[in-house]
Amino acid sequence: MGRFKFVLYRPLQTIPVLIGVSIITFVLVRSIPGDPVRVLLGPRAKPSIIAAVREQYGLDEPLVVQYFYFIYNLLHGEMGRSIIYRVPVLDVIAERLVPTLFLLSYALLLTVALALALAIVAARNQRRLPDHLVRMFCTAGLGLPAFWLGIVLIMVFSVGLGWFPVSGYGDGFWGHLHHLFLPALTIAVALAPVLTRNLRATLIDQMEAGYVQTARARGMSERALFYRHVLPNSLVPTVNLLGVAFSWLIGGTVVVETVFSIPGMGQLMVSSIFSRDYLLVQGVTLVFALGIILTNFIVDVVNVALDPRIDP
Amino acid sequence: MTGEPILSVRDLTVQFDSGDGWRSVVEDVSFTLNKGEVLGIVGESGSGKTVTSRALIRLLPDRVSRIAGGCVDFEGRDVIAMSESALEDIRGGKIGMIFQNPTTHLDPVMRIGQQIAAGLMLHLGLRSRAARARTIELLDEVGFRDPERQVDAFPHELSGGMRQRAMIAGALSCNPSILIADEPTTALDVTVQAQIIELLRTLGRQRGLSIIFISHDLGLVADFCQRMVVMERGRIVEAGAVDDVIARPQHPYTIRLLHSQPGLTAPGSYFDLDGETKSRNETRPAPQGDATYLAIDRLAVAFSRKRSLGEILTRKPVRDLAAVDGVSLNLTRGEALGLVGESGSGKSTLARSVVGLVTPKSGEIQLDGKSLGKPGERQRGPWHRQIQMIFQDPVSSLNPKMTVGETLAEPLSVHRLCPPADVKDRVLGLMTEVGLEHDLLNRKPHQLSGGQCQRVGIARALSVEPEFLIADEPTSALDVTIQAQIINLLMRLRESRGLTMLFISHDLTVVRHLCQRIAVMQHGRLVETGSAEEIFDNPRQDYTRKLLAAIPRVARAR
Repeated sequence: MGRFKFVLYRPLQTIPVLIGVSIITFVLVRSIPGDPVRVLLGPRAKPSIIAAVREQYGLDEPLVVQYFYFIYNLLHGEMGRSIIYRVPVLDVIAERLVPTLFLLSYALLLTVALALALAIVAARNQRRLPDHLVRMFCTAGLGLPAFWLGIVLIMVFSVGLGWFPVSGYGDGFWGHLHHLFLPALTIAVALAPVLTRNLRATLIDQMEAGYVQTARARGMSERALFYRHVLPNSLVPTVNLLGVAFSWLIGGTVVVETVFSIPGMGQLMVSSIFSRDYLLVQGVTLVFALGIILTNFIVDVVNVALDPRIDP
Repeated sequence: MTGEPILSVRDLTVQFDSGDGWRSVVEDVSFTLNKGEVLGIVGESGSGKTVTSRALIRLLPDRVSRIAGGCVDFEGRDVIAMSESALEDIRGGKIGMIFQNPTTHLDPVMRIGQQIAAGLMLHLGLRSRAARARTIELLDEVGFRDPERQVDAFPHELSGGMRQRAMIAGALSCNPSILIADEPTTALDVTVQAQIIELLRTLGRQRGLSIIFISHDLGLVADFCQRMVVMERGRIVEAGAVDDVIARPQHPYTIRLLHSQPGLTAPGSYFDLDGETKSRNETRPAPQGDATYLAIDRLAVAFSRKRSLGEILTRKPVRDLAAVDGVSLNLTRGEALGLVGESGSGKSTLARSVVGLVTPKSGEIQLDGKSLGKPGERQRGPWHRQIQMIFQDPVSSLNPKMTVGETLAEPLSVHRLCPPADVKDRVLGLMTEVGLEHDLLNRKPHQLSGGQCQRVGIARALSVEPEFLIADEPTSALDVTIQAQIINLLMRLRESRGLTMLFISHDLTVVRHLCQRIAVMQHGRLVETGSAEEIFDNPRQDYTRKLLAAIPRVARAR
């Protein structure tokens, strides 16, 4: 299995990326107009107190020194204390990460299921009614903004039918599953159309491929050759697209989290930016960056597993 | 030696949806295949031979095509009227099929063993372990050297020839009585082609197979088949025993096909095609003087291999792939030198480095006594105009967005060869010279045939008045009658313009026809050079002999 050797050294390549991300966020956050201490203490705070608090958080040091403190702490597993919450940044993130991860995985699962089912139906009934219906769904899904769709789903299924809770995150695995269904569906409806269209096109393309002819000439039924040859050959481009979509989603859950009042990372990101909570913004950004790097890594591994010709 | 009919086709008509109604692609085709015989179907692209072969087991695309009439009688049943499930039993079970391109016709993400075993499990009901064991036997039978291990190989891990062997193993896995082979060797090198034909011959004899062999190559059909049918524009124009058809062709199209065979017309003379002037017989101009025109001295070209991050960091030396490995070659002015070799032999890379499309690693190229510059520091110069190239794929070597007129005018204005007012006249003159009708001036490549595209490519090369023409497999993508026309054209141009030419081909007969001297390449090295007669009548190297032996029979006759 020489092709999988990259699993060992690829993580090393993320180090320069992470250093770059840390520098950029560090500088960007500090170039936003505003001052976390003033936000924290209010407009009428005395200058001496402001100076004292600034010193306490190390904000009076030169930027370069502050950056090295940040990296030094990071290497010791510390991200510093949140200025607003006054607890370690890691604790804040840990608490918010779980709902977001749950939501993302849930949405991913629904998206893949939806896209696979729709694309297969559309491709196998090319230019017939099911294909047209799928096309209409895709156009609608692309056109509906997530906040609007979320609100409509809440009104119909939560307020109207009472099947799902209006907001929140729920308790325990089944509670989460129940509470997060509508938010995950909202994301899936937005994400699935692109994947569906892509997969449908690839499937139709592959149905014309030479090896399908060979399999047909060998007496294989249409159904068997679709699932044994056409589908496996169509997955690689779709997995790549899914990786891109998922990376985008990692930073883009904020709308859905806001509509459904889920205490997740997206919300945390926005609130920490508003309060100029430098250390928290840095922490959240780094976690997002890690998530995207991890996603790309997983996509690479899956691709290598799916296609024996790929040798990274 | 052949028995009773096993498959008979009567009045088969296949239609395709042309956008405005159904158009017949195959019309009233009738023939029979006898037990144990090899039947050839010969024709050029668009003749309907592939569609006919697919129609025999109804492998045509739904909706855009339909079988409009006729029947295919196999074992007392009509394949055309059969139910889908009965058809699935026949496909692969009773009639096996192999295709032109083993690279695209094997599933790239599935191990070859699994692909072969699928048929065994489907038709013979074998369990996976038994199917695997049988697959290994089959791979052994078709000439795999290490079937136990190679059964788990993916298609991309095998060479083209081995892939075609795997495809044959798959088609024969369930002991069918008929094998349909659709251009099974067209994508392969000549020596590999000879091996595959030999394999089919042996397997056919051992298993008592009846084979339908579809090919554009008359020589190959003459070599391999007992009977043949000739197809043109969807109809059978001639049928009979191979020897009769070749010795006494009746239909004008068959005669034209035979006259287009490079091996059947005396080297150096024009092909006798209707519409082409059939002037002097011996047209080869003698080399004008002995002065060396192009001198290639110990030229080497290497392509760097992909390096891993570890190899880059540790600066571990990586051996590059030597595409051309120390080749020295001279051309005298006015000479036509043929460069032959199989794929990967480095012949195209050599040509590309002469034109300057590839940077050599070492060595020197001199044109007319002047060096074209050291590797890496080659500059633009007048030789850019002197050396021109014609490419293999006539369609993709033209810009799809440019009309014929624009394509031909571009080099004239780039090199400022004539005042803008005269460009159109020059373009029309070039078109006349290469035999293009003037009303094609505003056509784009996709509105032209392959032969017309290649004529545009030749006219484009000629537009800058070159002295030296490099033709890289200019006819391999073309039908044989079109090939004959293009070769006629190249010979006429050489005569009228006194061109020096480097002609690259995998086809020895074509090279023999056009060139006085032949150079043979293998693995980036020059194996042998000599006059065309020497190479053909008295080859010194084993590899050259192997190449010559691989030429199908009809081309060698006479």
